Amino acid sequence: VGAETVARPPRKSWLRRITSIEVLCAILLVAALGHSWLRSVLDVPALSTGATVFVAVCVQALPFLVLGVLISGAIAAFVPAHVLRKVLPRKENAAVGVAGLAGVALPGCECASVPVARRLIGQGVAPAAALTFLLAAPAVNPVVLVATAVAFPGEPAMVFARFAGSLATATVMGWLWVKWGRTEWIAERALRRLPETERGSRFTVFAETARSDLVEAGGFLVLGALISAALGVLVPGEVFGALGEHLVLGILVMAVLAVVLALCSEADAFVAASLSAMPLLPRLVFLVVGPAIDVKLFALQAGTFGRTFAVRFAPTTFVVAACCGVVAGLVFLGGPR
Amino acid sequence: VRRETQNVLLVLLGGALLKIALNGDYLRYVRPAQQPWILGGGFVILALGVVAMVRDMLAAAGSRKRVAHPVGHHHPARTAWLLMVPVLAVFLVAPPALGSDSVARSRERAPQGSEARPAIAFPPLPPGEVVPLPVSDFVTRAGWDDTGTLDGRTVSITGFVVHDERGTSLARLVIGCCAADAYPVTVRLPAGVAETMPSDTWVEVTGALVPESANRANRYTPELTVRTVRAIAAPPDPYEY
Repeated sequence: VGAETVARPPRKSWLRRITSIEVLCAILLVAALGHSWLRSVLDVPALSTGATVFVAVCVQALPFLVLGVLISGAIAAFVPAHVLRKVLPRKENAAVGVAGLAGVALPGCECASVPVARRLIGQGVAPAAALTFLLAAPAVNPVVLVATAVAFPGEPAMVFARFAGSLATATVMGWLWVKWGRTEWIAERALRRLPETERGSRFTVFAETARSDLVEAGGFLVLGALISAALGVLVPGEVFGALGEHLVLGILVMAVLAVVLALCSEADAFVAASLSAMPLLPRLVFLVVGPAIDVKLFALQAGTFGRTFAVRFAPTTFVVAACCGVVAGLVFLGGPR
Repeated sequence: VRRETQNVLLVLLGGALLKIALNGDYLRYVRPAQQPWILGGGFVILALGVVAMVRDMLAAAGSRKRVAHPVGHHHPARTAWLLMVPVLAVFLVAPPALGSDSVARSRERAPQGSEARPAIAFPPLPPGEVVPLPVSDFVTRAGWDDTGTLDGRTVSITGFVVHDERGTSLARLVIGCCAADAYPVTVRLPAGVAETMPSDTWVEVTGALVPESANRANRYTPELTVRTVRAIAAPPDPYEY
């Protein structure tokens, strides 16, 4: 980040001397001048709808990402690695179970859990446990469960099914990682442990960790929001209504839709409730898949843990979550309904 | 992206969040309950940027050497530039609240498409000659209330005008958390009421439910016998929750 100023040889062409600060100023200047032009371009109804959805996803998710980076910074600064090691069971399989249940304690949307999971890995927690936490935290916390209960009045089984399906997804993914996961898939920068710090510099570590996590993850959150807004405008609404009768197709479409729409896990229950042309089972799959994997999360994971990791982890999560959702639905709802 | 630029981007982003939270524009994007979250998030982002800037300046002034950042030695993250997109969107474009285009797009997500619904007890309407009602309340009562709480009552509903192949209707979008999950509720207006008004005009309409007008064939879209129509300014709070 800062090293280029030090290592720079004395004379350079003017082109090489342009830094990102100058680029930033240029962008701001052009944007300010092209203001009215920009507005007129976005006056097309579809683009305007897309822009509103994009800003909405950003505005809604950024505070949760901030919460996540603050927790991440606090873990880095105030929770020494040896404490974390002591708290979690030594056996990885057991640690996965504990991590899944620990997810109940972090009420927030999925954006918050990515930087926290990354910090846990950095502090020496087994990746399997940290990844289980990553999947469990946004899906099984009390806020999400209450939202689900409110969205489906008269269907308490949906709440239990969602809890079971999501917790199963997280634990199964953790165990799969214990069995087949490779630490080298995770980018080196996410594994790097922070040096143990002195007392006085703790606040600095806290602020710096939170800041750099935010800059890294924030860009990817924006990318995910852009993709989700674009797809939301492009995917025709008719896919919902037409598929009410075909159960398997309905489940698949709802699972894909959960990925594409990238809704916050606290709100997706209301959307699922409103898709009332569908039977309950596909809607449950929507609720189990959404918090586990969507385009926004995929972008965040790719940015945080590296692309090698994300292209393996995300599709597996999708399949596991869809299966867990179906099984939980058959057990708790007693069929497609 | 250099560290200095990152800090400027953070300050801009935090400023953008604070701006919409304070001037009320946030209601175009999320529900009112989110305001403290946006304020807090914006403030923290701003503070993280400012603290880093101040520390860099102090360190530079103190030692005249490059500051050593304990954890700042990341590879240059190009994606940080993307933080610019929401900043520009908020400060320059300020996208409007969702309107008729979104209604057409998300019609299939409307609860009005559904048939079976658990019977909910509908409380009687408050007394009064004209009863103001949320559009979503009016639509659910029209479609699923067997006890006839709307019979013979004049209601007042507020929404925007939508024209489609089936005629003119009044619509309102309902959101659960943010505008990404909006779904529409619509009430059909009789011919000759609002045909000349352009789409997205906000209107306040009083009238009574046409009995049995919300049925399965028209996707439970009730019709209103209109008594008065008045064009109004867009409300600060464009969605129902």
